[in-house]
Amino acid sequence: MRALPLLARCAGALLAIIASSALAAPYRPHSDSEILETLPSGPASERATRALRALTLRDPGNLDLALRLASLHIARARSASDPRELGRAQATLSPWWNAEAPPVLVLRATIEQSNHVFDAARADLERALAAEPANAQAWLTLATVQQVTGDLRGAGDSCRRVADLAIALVAVACQASVDGVSGRAAYAYEALEDVLARSSRANGSESMRLRTWATTLQAELAERLARPADAERLYRASRALDPNDAYTIAAYADFLIDAERYTEVLDLIPRDTAVDTLLLRRVQAAVRSGAADAASSANDLDQRFAALRARGERVHLREEARYTLEIGRSPEQALVLALDNWRVQKEPLDARIALEAALAAHRPQAVAGVLDWIASTHLEGARIAELARQARSP
Amino acid sequence: MMARAIASLLLLSIASTAFAHKPSDSYLMLHVDAAAIDGQWDIALRDLDAVVDLDANADGRIDWGELRQRNAEIDAYALARLALSSDGQACPLAITDHQVDRHSDGGYVVLGLHARCPSRIDALGVDYGLLFDIDAQHRGLLKLETASSTVVSAVFSETRRRQSFALQQPSTFGQFRAYVADGIGHIAAGFDHLLFLVALLLPAVLVRNGRRWEPVASFPRACRSVAGTVTAFTVAHSITLSLATLSLVSLPSRLVESLIALSVLLTALDNVWPILPRRRWQVAFAFGLLHGFGFASVLADLQLPPSALALSLFGFNVGVEIGQLVLVLLLVPLVYWVRDTRAYPRLGVICASAVIALLSSGWLIERSLDVRLLPF
Repeated sequence: MRALPLLARCAGALLAIIASSALAAPYRPHSDSEILETLPSGPASERATRALRALTLRDPGNLDLALRLASLHIARARSASDPRELGRAQATLSPWWNAEAPPVLVLRATIEQSNHVFDAARADLERALAAEPANAQAWLTLATVQQVTGDLRGAGDSCRRVADLAIALVAVACQASVDGVSGRAAYAYEALEDVLARSSRANGSESMRLRTWATTLQAELAERLARPADAERLYRASRALDPNDAYTIAAYADFLIDAERYTEVLDLIPRDTAVDTLLLRRVQAAVRSGAADAASSANDLDQRFAALRARGERVHLREEARYTLEIGRSPEQALVLALDNWRVQKEPLDARIALEAALAAHRPQAVAGVLDWIASTHLEGARIAELARQARSP
Repeated sequence: MMARAIASLLLLSIASTAFAHKPSDSYLMLHVDAAAIDGQWDIALRDLDAVVDLDANADGRIDWGELRQRNAEIDAYALARLALSSDGQACPLAITDHQVDRHSDGGYVVLGLHARCPSRIDALGVDYGLLFDIDAQHRGLLKLETASSTVVSAVFSETRRRQSFALQQPSTFGQFRAYVADGIGHIAAGFDHLLFLVALLLPAVLVRNGRRWEPVASFPRACRSVAGTVTAFTVAHSITLSLATLSLVSLPSRLVESLIALSVLLTALDNVWPILPRRRWQVAFAFGLLHGFGFASVLADLQLPPSALALSLFGFNVGVEIGQLVLVLLLVPLVYWVRDTRAYPRLGVICASAVIALLSSGWLIERSLDVRLLPF
């Protein structure tokens, strides 16, 4: 019974490959007005960057200007979720790349962290903090690095330092993201509820992004606490604050996929999204629901992973493991990727893909370390608990 | 103020998992042939826009007209950031063409490259510096191939801008010899071609007299008949091999392979019951056309660089002829020697042909129905 759709899918994939290889040949457009590329950011932000870049070119020794330009690039990287901007930030700072000034160290750590070079990021932040113990940004970034790499105790300590130095929303959100993965999701949820109600609803873009982040975090906690109606409401609230936030879209898409609401995922994420993590979710939903563009989207994603491998990059192991398990249907290979990823990152999604791949590959013994970690952190969530139970049962 | 600064960084940190675009890459493909280098360089329009400001009308989009206006600046920017050298001597580089292409992450300009080195390139030095001044995470992905189609891949990064590649460029004669060997190898391993020739040549030392085979009178007469048959086969398969390799004619491989099996079957059966035209050279010519398509698919699988096409075509054909000639030289004296034994027409021709017919009908079934029966 399953053979026919599978056959159809294979044929579709083949057609997509043929079609894409037919398209992938250099050509000379017929008309001057043929659009070749759409630039990602609005012209306003582009103008600001160009102006600042012109200033730094005129005054190449000016660290303050370079720091401002690098921060602008990092902010643009964030809003467009585009690593090119990180490379530009790094190039801007290159004359000072090995300097010991805390602001340089913090920016460098941010770039390193985005490239998943967590050890170097942590070392840079610790050096910055040794020189400037009241640097709230450094504590905050350190907390993030510690949490992503599974050092929850360290992350909690760093968040407590943030609490003395920053506004309440930042401090509470920092602590809540640590509590949320260490057995105190209910407490973290209430704390976020409380601080969001108290803190100002100022219209500044930074304040709005901060609220978006806290709201999405709260939605994830609601999911973990088996409160899907609250999760739904909070994801929608967060999307209303910032409809373009890629992190929120990805988390909401995962929520919808788990609820088997695939067509909503297809509506949420456009076919031509430039963000790989979002395309992955769309492909998953398309394949599971048998959507018409499933094969061609999967082929696009395949090409993007191939392009990353050609660079020698292993930043998207989590996504690649997920893709290999579900679309590539090779559980053994997915498990290798998921375990490589687990050595670097230890967030709930990393644990989940490792367990799923191990179960699919019938090798639950390979994820003993993941199970220990789940037990020791008291990570909550019905889905992860069920996966862990299956992996533990002989 | 503090909170503002914190917020932007904090958000950057937590959103690390949402970072997921393809970073900046350029794709540099170089093909080295003796002292000449031809190539193609794909550079993302978004990257070029950051250095030469492509969006002239500032509408957030780049069109072909805007790109064309900036060709000179793009060339100057690119040429200043790529240098090729051979054994320490510079190979002056020129941009020969501007096209566009789409990669998985957007539009790219495709620059055609040509360079000529002072002498044959044994070690190619590539000095790559595109975009590193504005994007420290940019990578240049190089694919380097030579006439013998060895492909080297390399990644250039800010900290690895200069790399050198030792090339084992075969001499033209060496290449030619390799193609000849491929041709010989193919005919030696191609039982279908060999058996076709055997079926064709078995009766060459006999003449049909009514329903009976009689031995030919003299060796020269046998040789004339063999030479005619083999020449017709050679001319025919050279024609179709050339046509197919130059992509002038193409037939589906399964059809060709099935028809080749059928040609062997018919030729063998004809030795038992006459069904084909009397003149052997006509049969050899007609079926030779088919076998040429079979040779061509082998040549296509070798993935030849276009520059070496003529050489490879010729070399491969020479190899096939050599293999064929060896078979003729082994087979013809042998069958001539046994031609007037009483057993030869019946045992030699009829039985051998029956075996060949059986085998080839097996191939015919395998190839036309895409199943597996025989171990070879």
